[in-house]
Parts: sequence; structure tokens; C-alpha cells
Amino acid sequence: MILRSRGALKIVEMPVERGMRALLYSVMVLCTLAACGRTDQAAAPLESTPGVTDTEIVLGSSLALEGHASYLGTETYRGYMSYIRHINESGGIHGRTIRVIAYDDGYDPPMCLANTQRLIVEDRVFALFSYVGTPTTVKILPMVEEAKIPLLGMFTGAHALREPLIRYIINVRASYYQETEAAIRHLIEDLGIMKIAVFYQYDAFGFDGLTGMELALQEYGLAPVARGSYVRGTLDVEEGLHKIMATGAEAVVMIGTYEPCSKFIKLAIQKGFNPVFYTVSFVGAEELARRLDPSANTTVIMSQVVPPPEGPESRALLGSTVEYLELLKRYFPEDKPNFVGLEGYINARVLVEGLDHAGRELTREGFIDAIESIQHYPLALDMAISFSPTDHQGLDSVYFTRLQYGLFLLIKDWEAIRGSIAQDRDRSDAEGRDGTGEASGAVTPDATVKEQGAP
Amino acid sequence: MKRFTDISLKNKIFISILAVILMISAAIAFLARWILVSSLISELELRGIAIARTIAERGSGYVLDRNYPRLLSLIFDEAQLNERKHLVAYIFIVDQENNILSHTFTYPFPAHLRTANRVPPEEGKSVQLLTVGNQAAYDIALPIHEGIYRIGTVHVGLNKSHIDNLVSKLRFTFLGFISLVFFIIFIMSHKLAKYITRPISKLTRLSDELSRGNFDIQLDPGSATGDWDPSACPAYVNTDLPCWHFDDASAAREGAAEPSEHRHTCRPCVFYGKREGDEVGQLADSFRSMVWSIKLYRRRLHESEDKYRSLFDSGPDPIFVVDSSSLKIIDANPRAVELYGYEKHELVGRSFLELEPQNPRTGTASFAIDSDAHGCVFYQKVLHQKKGSKPVFVNLHACHISYRGRPAVIVAATDITEMMEKDAQLIQASKMKSLGEMSAGMAHELNQPLNAIKMGSDFLAMMMENDLEVSKENLQQVVSEMSTQVDRAADIINALRAFGRKADFVMEKVDINKPVRGVFSIVGRQFELENITITMELAKGLPPIMAHDNRLQQVFFNLVTNARDAIMEKNQTGSPRAGGTIRIRTYEADGHVVAEVRDDGAGIPDSVRDKIFDPFFTTKETSQDMGLGLAITYGIVKGYGGDIQVTTRRTEGTTFILSFPVPG
Repeated sequence: MILRSRGALKIVEMPVERGMRALLYSVMVLCTLAACGRTDQAAAPLESTPGVTDTEIVLGSSLALEGHASYLGTETYRGYMSYIRHINESGGIHGRTIRVIAYDDGYDPPMCLANTQRLIVEDRVFALFSYVGTPTTVKILPMVEEAKIPLLGMFTGAHALREPLIRYIINVRASYYQETEAAIRHLIEDLGIMKIAVFYQYDAFGFDGLTGMELALQEYGLAPVARGSYVRGTLDVEEGLHKIMATGAEAVVMIGTYEPCSKFIKLAIQKGFNPVFYTVSFVGAEELARRLDPSANTTVIMSQVVPPPEGPESRALLGSTVEYLELLKRYFPEDKPNFVGLEGYINARVLVEGLDHAGRELTREGFIDAIESIQHYPLALDMAISFSPTDHQGLDSVYFTRLQYGLFLLIKDWEAIRGSIAQDRDRSDAEGRDGTGEASGAVTPDATVKEQGAP
Repeated sequence: MKRFTDISLKNKIFISILAVILMISAAIAFLARWILVSSLISELELRGIAIARTIAERGSGYVLDRNYPRLLSLIFDEAQLNERKHLVAYIFIVDQENNILSHTFTYPFPAHLRTANRVPPEEGKSVQLLTVGNQAAYDIALPIHEGIYRIGTVHVGLNKSHIDNLVSKLRFTFLGFISLVFFIIFIMSHKLAKYITRPISKLTRLSDELSRGNFDIQLDPGSATGDWDPSACPAYVNTDLPCWHFDDASAAREGAAEPSEHRHTCRPCVFYGKREGDEVGQLADSFRSMVWSIKLYRRRLHESEDKYRSLFDSGPDPIFVVDSSSLKIIDANPRAVELYGYEKHELVGRSFLELEPQNPRTGTASFAIDSDAHGCVFYQKVLHQKKGSKPVFVNLHACHISYRGRPAVIVAATDITEMMEKDAQLIQASKMKSLGEMSAGMAHELNQPLNAIKMGSDFLAMMMENDLEVSKENLQQVVSEMSTQVDRAADIINALRAFGRKADFVMEKVDINKPVRGVFSIVGRQFELENITITMELAKGLPPIMAHDNRLQQVFFNLVTNARDAIMEKNQTGSPRAGGTIRIRTYEADGHVVAEVRDDGAGIPDSVRDKIFDPFFTTKETSQDMGLGLAITYGIVKGYGGDIQVTTRRTEGTTFILSFPVPG
């Protein structure tokens, strides 16, 4: 390539120059390529879809069937099982019946973890279904992500399950943030209450509710006047109570389960402290109602994410979910319809809808895609399930109920509550001045009629 | 290696720098990587051990309590803790019987792990590279102790890919760095190489132009001297003026006036412009000075050459340059071309001997070859040959010179052919005049044989008329006498004819006795009548000389005639018919052939002795004699390379001595 002739030397210089440049660039490209190592990702061993046979789909569920939160787990179980049994008896989904393996975790996160590992590794279930509790469900999130197994329907509105969005986690119910946000709005706007305290379970669930509440108050430029807490699994509510009483709060937001919450309320009334009590749905309405004295002049409000299963307006509100009442009666005749069970039932409705959309060729990924494709599945008049790739929460509805006559009934008229609160306060003050220290349980007929609304 | 030397300097520098930098970078990279990778692995091991240790300590209680959910929760938390998610592939705990107590897999536990990587009883840990699924992991096993007893083993599996990612990140960083360095060095060395070699290439190109003789190229305008016009240099315009820079260098060295003074007038000159710069710049400056110097020299040389060329070309006489050793003509000027009739290209390369055929040993050739001879030599009346073998007479000046380093002879020829012809004509005229003089004698000479013939024929006629018998002896006698007389008459006429003939230019070998006898046969009788006796003592076997026979005859005729005139003159005062003697002798002496003509006539007075050979000099009354005889004689003798001497004594006689060289 190098010519001797001087005249040609200049011409040859150019190709050599170009050659040099080409060499340079190719070396650089090679370097770059060589440098880029393979980014290995932990690849789980690929296999055929577990938990799916020609005739059966196997699901796994870990929930509190024993222990201090057993009501929540049990009712959830009965709620979804009644629907699933119904489906199985009707021929199943695409020729397959659904079998649910349910383990008790006693609302204990390690237990839940162990159960979940067992379900995934040993029982090789297709998907996880209807878990109960925030700390338990949050604990297993990493495992769910690693195993890439869908988890549909949790009896918890924890923020951690919604944010950041995890593909495999499918929530059905509205979140605690939504509940507390609505509640705070009602408390401040409808009831005119500014001094709001919070009593919460000292764990992830409690913190979640606390944060939601604080965020909601921030919107109004307010903050909780007091924070009281109790340790999960215990009934040590006194310290929290005193802290809250000291501030003279007008309302107490309670994030806990029915045992400690009911104890808190009873103690508060005993001590003559009668604010508006508000709890989130998780508390377990029926159990709470059962533990409270119906004659007491207390205002206990509870937010719910599903419509009340019983009551005059129910039929209209329930829509198609009224089927729950019927199915529960069929499969679990001794049981009473309740909010928790209704949630379980709705979880099952969503599950079946998803399986249906996914088709006969069932895979975990396909199932999730199917769920995400449910754009507007109406369960009732103003209760429709919607999902999308960026929205893994089916419902957004929040209902407010009030404890009356031992039942949590839908609140239709906030003004009335406002009035009754005022009455209760006056009476308490009067009694306080009387020095009896006991809260009067008598309720004036007028007030009762007003609160009752339509018969 | 040859290929390496072939590529340009620019690329050599460039490639060398690149190669060195690359090698160094690669070496550093490898070294660093090796150090870092081994450190990384040991660091990660330590991390894994730390995790395992934490689990061992916190989990020992759970192991004892058989609280497997809590154990699972513990190891799961440890595995999933934020950044650890990528680092930890798995954690599992086995008891002493290698039963799995807890593990973090989300698929069935890989059976081979259970017994893999056991920790020996006395060891504190064990690290092993295992394959789990399709991945490699470093399994770090740590025993769980309750007091001093081992109750189980924690296995923490660290993703090898984690390390690999770190390593490849490292590699990427290094390679990126090297690439950057490479790129920078590429550009820099490229620029550097170009900076060094561009001026060199430029200078090379300039040199090429100069070597082709193109001196009009533009000197670098970027010099300190700027656009300096050569015509501003006085030494360039007028080559008689010296250039301070190289003509007076020696004078300056001897401590003449300060050089800076001189430079003052020549400050803008390229020689004195020095650019402050690096070696490359200085090279360019030097080059410029050199070019300018060459230009000056060339100009001078050109002028000088022109000067001498015009002298050579315009010289009024033909000039040759002849090579001493080969005797070939190296150069000839236009006049030579004119005279000799050859074209210049025919002359150059031709042997000079072709032009000067005679005397190859004694002529110009001998002088040329004789390397000891210095100075110059003058040859007269040399016969040369023109083209077509036409003769031409020239006088030659030949000088030794050094022509282009070779010894040569420069020969200038003057054409004397005309002069020679005039000479010949003159000789002829003189001869004619001599003939005229001789006519009376000739007539007398011829009468005698004619009378004899007449007498004989008359006798025979008378005898015939009278019817007398002529005796055989008488008839024979008469007839033979008549024949002899006819021969004699014929001889005389022949001699005359030979005498009158114009001589050839070409000389021939002549026996000197022959022309002597020839003259005698012409004038002998006549002289006899005048009582002048010619005695001839001619040596036999004389070597011949190069001459013309009839010219020699003329010479002897002249001498003999002068001798008679001298005798007559002497006898005038005495008895007119006293007569005299002319003695002619020939002999050889000293490599010469000598002829003497002696008379005992009046002799030559001293006052005129030096003039006798002068042309138009005569002692006789004018209109009788042109006075050319001796002059011609002298010319003829000299022309043959001979010599003529005179010895004379008043009233006793004169002797002319002619000597001719013997050729060979």
C-alpha cells in the first residue's frame, strides 16, 4: 500500500489516514462492546404454569383464622368460598374448578411468610388470594415479587401495597388513605370538628392509617392534636387514651382491630370522654358493634369500602353483590352477612372475572393482563371494578356508616349527626357537672327518630 | 520490519505513541482489574460472612425454639433488605443432620445444596462457588453455635453475577477511560506528528523542486524575513559584488570589520533572518538560507559560463578541445564547424587524428599525449583534413588544460590555406621566372642534341643522295648517336617539365641526390659554357626525406644560380671568362641529411648577410630579379622542417648548408 513514487505518496496518505480513523473507531466500539457485560438477572427456573391442571385451578390463601383477629380471616374466607363454591357447582371457569388452600397465619407476619412460601414452593398454587392484614401482606411482598405469583384481593388498604405499583399485587378495596381522607373531610366539613386525635395500632397498619390521616389534615392546614398507640396483639390502650383525653379532642380516628378499639371506646366513655369515634373499615364492624353498648350515647362512625350488606338501602346499593347474602345463607347458614365477608365475596367476583377474561390458556402473566383489561365491571349502581396497567385497585368507593342499635347503618344525613353530637356533648357536660361520671345511655326518642331516617 | 520503515514518519510517530500508550493503559487496566477483582471478591465474601453471622446469632434462638416462621422471617428480611436483593441469591439454614430448616427459595429447594459446602468441624466458615439453577453463586457457610455446640449451619449464597456486574462496570469504566485516553492521544499524537512532519514534507517537496532545477519556487513566506524579493540583493543583481555571508567569511574570521556592520545593509536578507522557534522552524530557516545560497551561486556560475561560452563560441578562430588520453574531440566552436565542414555533432567524439592525419607522432597528438609537457606549443603549416578529405593548412596553437577534470588540450587553428596557396603561387611565379632565365640556356642545351641529330640525319641523307654505301658500323654509330641525343633532349625536356610542375601539397619521400641531379641535368651544360664547373659529391644510400622533388630542384636551382651569379660577379673585376667551381655535396650527419652548395664566387658582404633570406631583397639591379629566390628557398627548406646555414668569405666564396631531418 505504501508506494515509493513521491508523487503518489500524497494520495496514499489519505487512505492510510482513513484507515487510521477506521481503526480508531472500531477499537473504541469493540472496547465499548466488550465492556458491556451481560446484565444478568436472576432468572427463576421456567416451567409450565403451576397450579393449573386440565380440571382445576389451585389458589393459596393465608389469613387469620385463629387468634385475636380470627373474625376478619374467617369471614373473608367464608365470603369468598361461598362464591367460589357457587362457581364450581355451576361448572367452573373454562372447564376448571377452583380449589383454595387456606392456611391460618394468626395475623402474624412470620407465619404468613412461612405459609406463603409453603403455598408457592410446596403446594405450587397458581395464585395467592384474599390475604388479610397489612403487616402480614407487606411482609410477603418481596417473595411475591421474586416468585412472580399474582396476589389478588387483600383485606387491607395499606399504602405499601399500592405504591409503588407492583405488577403482581392486585388490590380490590379502596385504600386507607382514601378512607381517612374522606373521613377527615366529613369530620371537618360536615361535623365542624377541628380537634382530631389519632389512636393507632403500633405497626405498619397503624402507621399507614396515621399517615393517611395526617396527609388529609394537612390539606386543611391542621395536624392531629394527639397521637396514642397500642402494641399489636395487646390490649394496652390506657396510655394512648390518656394522652388523647388530655388534649380534649373532639374526634378520635382509630386505626386498630376490634378488641383494642372497643376497649378504648368503653374506657373513654367510662372516663366521660365522648368524642366522635371514627374507625377504618379494617376494625371489623360487627365485632366492634357486638362489644359496644348499644344504649351508650356515643357517635361511632366507621368508613367502609363496600356497601352495608344489610339495611334498608342495601338492595339498591349492593346491586349484584346482593348475591352474597343468598350464597352465604346457602353455604354457611349459621353466619350473618357482614362487611368483611362481603369484601371476601367481592374479591372472589373479581377473581372469577379475571379468570374468565384470561381464557382457557391460563398463565400467571396472562391472568394479570386479563385483570388489567377489566375496564368497567359494574357490581352495583355506583360500584364498578376498573383496572389498568397503571391502576391495580379495583374499587374507590368509601361508604360511611354509624353504629346504631348495635348495627352499622349507612349515614345519609350528616347534619343530624352534627346535631346529636352537640346534644351528647351538652349532656356529658351536664353530667360532668352533675358529677356522676357515668355516661347516660338514654337516647331521646326525637334524636333516635331523626337518626333513624327512613324506616 | 521493512514495512515499518516504509511508512511515513508522521505515521511512525503517531503509531508508536499510540502503541506505547495503549500498552501502558492495557497493562494498568489489567493490573488494576486484577487487584480490584480480588479485593472485591474478598470484600463480598466478608459481606456474606457478616450477613451469615447476623443470621446465625439472631436465628440461633429460633432454631432452638423450632420457631421456623420466625426463622424464615429473619432470613427473608436479611435476603431482601434493599440493596441486598441483588447481592443475596438465597439463604438457607440446615440443622446438624442437613435437614432444611428454612430457605428463601420461591421454588423447590435444589437438592444438591443441602449437602454442598459443608463446614469442616474445626473451621469457622467455608466458601464455595456453586451453581444454583442456571446461575453461579458463592455459597458462604457459617455454623450456628449455641455456646460451643453447633446446632446448624447458615448458608448465604451471593450472586456471582453481582460481582460480575461490578467487575464489568469496572471493566467498562476502565475501557471507557482507556478509550478516552486513546482518543485524546490519537488526536494529540496525530497533531504532533503532523506538526513535526508537515514542515519536513514541505521541505522535501521544495527539495524536489530544487533538484529538478526549478529555483523559482516561492520561499516560505512565513519566515522572519517575510516576502523578501531576491532582486533586492545587490550581490544577486551584480555578480561582481561579494555577498557578505559567504564571500567574506574568511576575512571576517581574521578579524576584519565587525560582521554586524556588514549585516546592517543586508539585514533583510534571508541569511540573517532567524526565526525564534524549535528545531523544525530552524530547519526551515536553514533550508531557506541554503536555497538562497544556491541561487546566488548558480547565478554567478551562469554568468561565468555565459561569459566563457561566448568567448568560445564567438572566437574568430576555430577552437577544439581534445581529450589527452583518447585524442577525441570534446568540444568545438562554431568557427571550427565552419572551417572543417563537419557538423558539431560529427566533430564531437571524432578522433582528432582524423583531422590531422600526418605526423601522428610528432604533431598535436604527441603534444596532447605527453602529459609532462606544460604550457603551449605552436605548430606552423600543419596539414589538416576537412570533411571529404579536403586538405587545409593551419597554424596550431595547442595548450594543456584541465577540461572537466580530465587532462585535455585546447587547440586553436588559424586557417593559412590561402596564404599557402599564395606561397605556392609565388614559388610558381618565381619558378616561371627561373624558367624564363633558363630558356636561353635551355635552348642552347637543346640545340646540341638537335644539331647532333641533324648532323646524323644529314649525313644519312647525303649518303642516300649520293648513293653511297653506308657501312654497317657507320650506320649503327650514327643511329645510336642519334638515339642517345634524342634521349638526352627528352631528358632535358622532362627535367624542365618536372621543374615547372606545380608541386603537390603532399610531401613524399625524396632522395636528396635526385633533385640535385635533376638540376644539374638542366643547367649543367649551360654552366659549362660559362666555364663554371659543377662537381657533385653525393653520398650513396642516404635516407629519404619528406619533401617535394621539384621544390627541392627549385631550391638547388636557386642556390646554383646564385652561386654562378657570385662567380660571375667575382670574374667581372678580373677575367670574365675565368669561370669558377660549384661544388655540391650531400651526406648524412646527426640524423639529418645535409646538402652543401659551395661556390668560389664573390662571397656575401657582412652588411647584407642577414638580409639575404628576406623577401624582395636583391643585390642585383632591380627589374632583373624580384629578390624572392632565397626567401622562397628558405621557406621551402623550413617547410620541410629543415635548416639553412650560410658561411661566406669575401672573394673566397659562399657555402650554403641545407639540413633536413630524417623522418621516423
